Amino acid sequence: MAFDPSSLRPLFPILSQQAYDHPLTYLDNAATTQKPLSVLDAIQHYYRHDNANVHRGAHCLSDRATNRFEQARNTVAHFINAPEQSHIIWTKGATEAINMVAFGLEHLLEEGDEILITSLEHHANLVPWQQLAFRTGARLRVLPLTSKGDWAPEFSRYFTDRTRIFAATQISNAIGTTTPLKIMLEHAKQQGAFTLVDGAQAVAHYPIDVRTLDCDFYAFSGHKMYGPTGIGVLYGKNHALEVLMPYQTGGEMVRHVSHHATEFNVLPYRLEAGTPNIEGVIGLAAACDFLSAQDRNALLAWEHTLAEHVYSRLHKEGDIEIYSPEKCATLVSLSVPNIHILDLNAYLDSQGVAVRAGSHCAHPLMAQLGVAGTLRASFACYNTMEEANRFCDVLLEAIDLLSDE
Amino acid sequence: MTDSLGQQKPVNIKAQLQACRSKEETFKALVTLSKTLPRLSAEEKIEDNKIKGCESAVWLITTETNGVRHFKADSDAKLMRGVLVAILSLVEGKTLTDIQQMDLKTELAELNLASYLTSSRSNGVLAICSQLQRT
Ligand SMILES: Cc1ncc(COP(=O)(O)O)c(C=O)c1O
Repeated sequence: MAFDPSSLRPLFPILSQQAYDHPLTYLDNAATTQKPLSVLDAIQHYYRHDNANVHRGAHCLSDRATNRFEQARNTVAHFINAPEQSHIIWTKGATEAINMVAFGLEHLLEEGDEILITSLEHHANLVPWQQLAFRTGARLRVLPLTSKGDWAPEFSRYFTDRTRIFAATQISNAIGTTTPLKIMLEHAKQQGAFTLVDGAQAVAHYPIDVRTLDCDFYAFSGHKMYGPTGIGVLYGKNHALEVLMPYQTGGEMVRHVSHHATEFNVLPYRLEAGTPNIEGVIGLAAACDFLSAQDRNALLAWEHTLAEHVYSRLHKEGDIEIYSPEKCATLVSLSVPNIHILDLNAYLDSQGVAVRAGSHCAHPLMAQLGVAGTLRASFACYNTMEEANRFCDVLLEAIDLLSDE
Repeated sequence: MTDSLGQQKPVNIKAQLQACRSKEETFKALVTLSKTLPRLSAEEKIEDNKIKGCESAVWLITTETNGVRHFKADSDAKLMRGVLVAILSLVEGKTLTDIQQMDLKTELAELNLASYLTSSRSNGVLAICSQLQRT
């Protein structure tokens, strides 16, 4: 029996509102997902009952807050199958996690070393490496994945004995392509490179197992997986986290300080300077619990069904160009020749359909596709088939209204 | 020389936009207005005439004859062309001093456009407004 999202809708009250007198159709989930009541309740509960700074005072509230905070680390470790909870570093999002690695590995890079990324990266997994290359004299190289994400044998040439870092997204935020991670990571490891996977677009949809992936670092954001904004995770293998130079210093991350020297704390605290985002951590753990309580394969199959349905309805329309894969994507990214995506977006918005038009923080990928931007409808587990059809209907209306006769 | 505002009278434009009762109606009114904007030629759509800060590409050409200003503009987005028709109707044929004394933002809000424009695009509109008031 097909998955029925109607059982999830009551958990997301924000979805049952009107937008300009139309039922809100929220299809901008790749930008951020909505949050279930359990996440909202966990944050409320923390402030109502447990609020105190963590790891500090020996008092009742601080003990409770610290327990919940460290329990959350455990929850997230289980969620991605990390071997130890000390391998989970709290960050404010995927962006900060990637920057933490880019700054933390700087001391190991020499002129002429190579940093390899793919052509499908979000700016968050591009600019930090490019800037690291500028600072160190390393060379940034780009593996030219096609929009289908297929592996080509000649790509192995990009992995050389100078490749020190390989960073790749698991799923493209702009077009929804899944990258050939397994084979890319194998090549990177053969060259002894550090490997980082940007999981920002994967965590909401795919069960993640960092042990099977076997990457050195895995980065993601809470807000794209039904959790709050301002919290994210850097997972790292022990040896990989150990070599990172802390890119922020201050309180919490130290063991002993004199005016002339500082002894850093152990992992994970060594990489977590300052008072952390405690409510975010607690909300993120609640989001993991929400997802873990679902049949993840059924949710994923449903999200694929929605995207495939939209693809199959729209690709028949001669004047729509679709950049997303036909199968196994959770979003549909498209453009219409001679109609500006902002005009399409404006009409969809006027009908209560929330999507995203733009370059999706991926200018080089847009250049590769030969477009300035795309219109992206991205799905989450709570989206219905009616919503997928509404997107198609309203888009076709918009094209009708905007076409020059 | 073509009139840069086509056949539209400012009062009509104002009435059309003010009659809109929903986002959808404003959308449709702007599409209709966009059709009255004469398009610029490729030679006119050069980098120098481009306005920075707009999410869609916008070109603006200002000329002055006998102390009054004339404007030509274009955009790659249709709704922006409709917005340009509305904005230019406010300033076409006026002196620079008159234009500089206008509160363009408020006047656009009165045309139902403030609520309509997305924040990044309204930044674009602000960039157009300040360009219009520049010497
Ligand atoms: C693939 C990918 N990587 C990184 C990021 C950055 O995430 P955040 O802005 O939450 O740090 C995003 C967000 O859009 C993304 O889609």
